[in-house]
Amino acid sequence: SPPLSVSPAADPAVISPQDPTLLIGSSLVATCTVSPDFPLKAEDLYWTLNGRRLPAASYAALGPSTLSVALARLNGSRQQSGDNLVCHSRDGGILAGSCLYVGLPPEKPVNITCWSKNMKDLTCKWAPGTEGETFLHTNYTLKYKRRWYGQDNTCQEYHTAGTYSCHIPKDLALFTPYEIWVEASNRLGVAVSDVVMLDILDVVTTDPPSDVHVSRVGDLEDQLSVRWSSPPALKDFLFQAKYQIQYRVEDSSEWKVGGHRRCRGTAWGGRGSRCSHLLPLQVVDDVGNQTSCRLAGLRPGTVYFVQVRCNPFSIYGSKKAGIWSDWSNPTAASTPRSERVAGGCDPKGGEQNTTLRRELKQFFGWVKKHAYGCSNLGIKLYDQWRVWLQKSHKTRNQVGKEP
Amino acid sequence: SPTGDSWGIFTFLCAALCNLPALPALNCSEELGAGQSIQQTYDLTRYLEHQLRTLAGTYLNYLGPPFNEPDFNPPRLARAERVPSATVDLDLWRGLTDNARLAANYRAYSRLLCYLRVLDGQVGTAELRHRLAHFCASLQGLVLSIGGVMSSLGYPLPAGPAGPPTPPGAPAAPNDFLKKMDDFWLLKELQTWLWRSAKDFNRLKKKVPPAVVTLRLEARGF
Repeated sequence: SPPLSVSPAADPAVISPQDPTLLIGSSLVATCTVSPDFPLKAEDLYWTLNGRRLPAASYAALGPSTLSVALARLNGSRQQSGDNLVCHSRDGGILAGSCLYVGLPPEKPVNITCWSKNMKDLTCKWAPGTEGETFLHTNYTLKYKRRWYGQDNTCQEYHTAGTYSCHIPKDLALFTPYEIWVEASNRLGVAVSDVVMLDILDVVTTDPPSDVHVSRVGDLEDQLSVRWSSPPALKDFLFQAKYQIQYRVEDSSEWKVGGHRRCRGTAWGGRGSRCSHLLPLQVVDDVGNQTSCRLAGLRPGTVYFVQVRCNPFSIYGSKKAGIWSDWSNPTAASTPRSERVAGGCDPKGGEQNTTLRRELKQFFGWVKKHAYGCSNLGIKLYDQWRVWLQKSHKTRNQVGKEP
Repeated sequence: SPTGDSWGIFTFLCAALCNLPALPALNCSEELGAGQSIQQTYDLTRYLEHQLRTLAGTYLNYLGPPFNEPDFNPPRLARAERVPSATVDLDLWRGLTDNARLAANYRAYSRLLCYLRVLDGQVGTAELRHRLAHFCASLQGLVLSIGGVMSSLGYPLPAGPAGPPTPPGAPAAPNDFLKKMDDFWLLKELQTWLWRSAKDFNRLKKKVPPAVVTLRLEARGF
């Protein structure tokens, strides 16, 4: 049936309380009073909450044109815009409505972490306190001030790194501690996080290394050489950098972190083997602005994806670790696959490969003991060792069969 | 080889271009422009209609039941009339001059845009604000497009953009529930206008000057 036609002058009915805010679990008695212009009685009315009719048992007529409803132990609001409590006339028409905001006051925001990109700005993120769900719209404000200077500042750019985050783009001082905190507020109250104190220099991160190049190392089947440039943005500041490399085969989602140290337990051609030694890479071979490293223990004839990231850990001589940058975009390269000797004996060819690998195993074991880290020294040593091997028949017979 | 392919494409294009009849004389370009603009405006209304479906769905879910129920039909209170109504008597609609037809659309969407922008400032969730902002940008595009059609046909634009979102005599909603109802009717009216505009621009398309129609036939005869 069509809804009631409405007189332009007055609202058909009035609900009390109008748009109340309530704590979860509380009870409420609401009344609907029909305007005198309308020929409706209390018995012509009924209530709905979020579209669902409320039981008549909870109604009570408080007057000829006033009907009340009792709501007990309210749950948190179904939507943040408020629960819709509506007073209807018998034919279903809407006479009036009231939005109920049922929820909890906010909890103290926690886990405030901040980082500065190249010392130019500060981004902070936080978590909304243990419960999280307040059922009410909760506003978060990030505030900060320099430790011994009175004025509070408010962060303006929100949601830059997720929902609970804020970005301070400028006017930040170095070499001075900042106090940072987050205020959460909703209709039921306010909560303030603990104050975090930090110096911008302690939380510096930077761009990922640029110009990451991955290339083969001559004909070596199980090695790739990775080169990159240190991030230019911090070049004017005194800092050292740590780098980390991660790499994976093309069709695997499992990243191996590390570098020249071959992971124990990785069998040749073995699949799904896990790397038990995940070691961060120390910086080596800082040749000018370039840095490089060698990956070893790789599968021949395989495409690898490589990423590098940087940690500017000694800005202005600060002892604190910086924050790791994002990983660089993946760069791909493939290891060479040795070619079988033409007209060769296949079984022997296979054996030759096994021989080569075994030799390399032995070589890198040797390198581990005698030469630290990734270095170009390795390839020269290896070549020398190969030459030495070829000259000495004895050694070859010990290692494997003659091709 | 790749180079061979590019040459092939290039020679084909040259041949095609060389065979086209001479482009229409410049003095007809204005009407051609209007024809294209009308088509573009029509397309834009269809696009907005599609976008509105998603936006309205999200927004009405935010308002909660009963607003998001398909058969929801609340009373249309007098206060809601500050939003211009699309529904109009059929004979009246048929009899509209091109100028009046375009002007009605221009005024309506300028007004609706204002109200939507106010909504954008108040709404709770980040997702909704994002969708609303996107829709407002598209709607702004529609207003500009209609303005472009009017200019190219030599009609003056209706006086000034819409007044403040809450003109005197129609105060802002006195409570949150009534505000939800206003929001509901705003979206409903927007939907009705987009349906109507599609018909308005379809009608305008058919009334494109005959000179342009001839030119088009010549182009096709090639």
